[in-house]
Amino acid sequence: MRPIIGITTYVEPATWGVWRDLPTTLIPHDYVAAVSQAGGRPVLIPEHEDTDVLGILDGLVLAGGPDLSPELYGAEPEPLTVTRPDRDRAEILLVRRALEQEVPVLGVCRGMQLLVAAAGGRLHQHLPDVLGHDRHRPAPGVYGEHEASFVPGSRIAGLMGDDLAIRCFHHQGVADAGKLTVTGRTEDGLAEAVEDPDRRFVLGVQWHPEVIRDERLFGALVTAAR
Amino acid sequence: MRRPLIGMTAYAQQVTYGSNNLMAGMLPMTYVRAVHAVGGRAVLITPDDPGTDVLESLDGIVFSGGGDVDPAYWGAERHPATEVDKERDEAEIMLMRAALAADLPLLGVCRGMQVMAVVGGGTLHQHLPDLIGHDRHRAAAGTDPLAADASAYGRHDVITEPGSFAHSLIGGHTVVNSFHHQAVDNPGSFTPTGWCPDDHVIEILEDPSYTYAVGVQWHPERTADLRFFAALVEAAATRSGLKPEAFAA
Repeated sequence: MRPIIGITTYVEPATWGVWRDLPTTLIPHDYVAAVSQAGGRPVLIPEHEDTDVLGILDGLVLAGGPDLSPELYGAEPEPLTVTRPDRDRAEILLVRRALEQEVPVLGVCRGMQLLVAAAGGRLHQHLPDVLGHDRHRPAPGVYGEHEASFVPGSRIAGLMGDDLAIRCFHHQGVADAGKLTVTGRTEDGLAEAVEDPDRRFVLGVQWHPEVIRDERLFGALVTAAR
Repeated sequence: MRRPLIGMTAYAQQVTYGSNNLMAGMLPMTYVRAVHAVGGRAVLITPDDPGTDVLESLDGIVFSGGGDVDPAYWGAERHPATEVDKERDEAEIMLMRAALAADLPLLGVCRGMQVMAVVGGGTLHQHLPDLIGHDRHRAAAGTDPLAADASAYGRHDVITEPGSFAHSLIGGHTVVNSFHHQAVDNPGSFTPTGWCPDDHVIEILEDPSYTYAVGVQWHPERTADLRFFAALVEAAATRSGLKPEAFAA
């Protein structure tokens, strides 16, 4: 039996076929394909207060999505912060329990930010205000292309090898990683990868490895989940 | 004690949300909320992955609504109005065969009930208006079939067979919503136990030789009447040694 990898989901009004703006639980198919291609069995996890679902999961992908509620890191929302409070409540419970139970976790974009919040860190709510540029989210539907640098000896450095190209799409970023270690940065100094060296597999990346179905990262999660 | 874990077959569908238009694994929230409201815990099974190993982790499964089943499965030519979903057909037929073989409690909703008939060796009517001369199973006259609310569905009576499971669950008569243009013709190994009295279209399938194998042609997840979902979760809990009443909302 393949390792079962849970993927957290969005809840958004979606439109398809004859349906218009129907509240829908969904995940970009790239995540599902990335887990499948890496040898895992993906299941999608709709938001719910229940965390017992972790009992069947061998690994967990915290997917991207809207901004985290700033209350998760003790801040007031700023004007450009767009949140989904129900999803936040469900996912913070899920990630805390997953960490307690040593379930291997890969956090992507918002998922990395959730790991940071769970580790006592905090976020910048709008990066152009801090960095003075929008190269982490250049335009709607356009990824910011960067070359990252990784801390030698870190997990992410080992996984990425010589190919350091990453594709970002986010307007918030890590201000303080809390108990996590920052192991990757872009040229502007922004944290792009975090890890918890005290746990079996806790890795967060600010970019979108699912878009290229990056087996380096999803394969490492599946291997840790076996 | 944990909640019974209910797999739900999901769509792989091109969808638009916000400023995005992309291929997504997805399911309308009404299905998820229906399972959660009766004490289950939903996880979604996407159709792009052909394995059945995930069933070992589930206490029950829902086969959800969606597009048409390919008539090639029962040896028929495709009707012009038939729009098949090949990926879901392959995944769901494989999953349903394995779920039945394992006696995993299962509920089929709309397309899900039609998949039951096909897996049971039966056949479907490919376009009901050709058969019964009206389109009331898809939308009520005067309503907007594009509106995304419950009134978009046609409404009609359902009568049930005395002595059946469906009769014991909902009594002899109920009124249901309806949004389908295909229907079960030959139910194969399953037993029809509910019909629309106006046109005799099959509305409920069951097979009492399984712990819980029931299909409904309508959409209970979009109503307040969740008895078929509650019965699924209860059957799933009992089979797995869990107590669903501890979690019911």
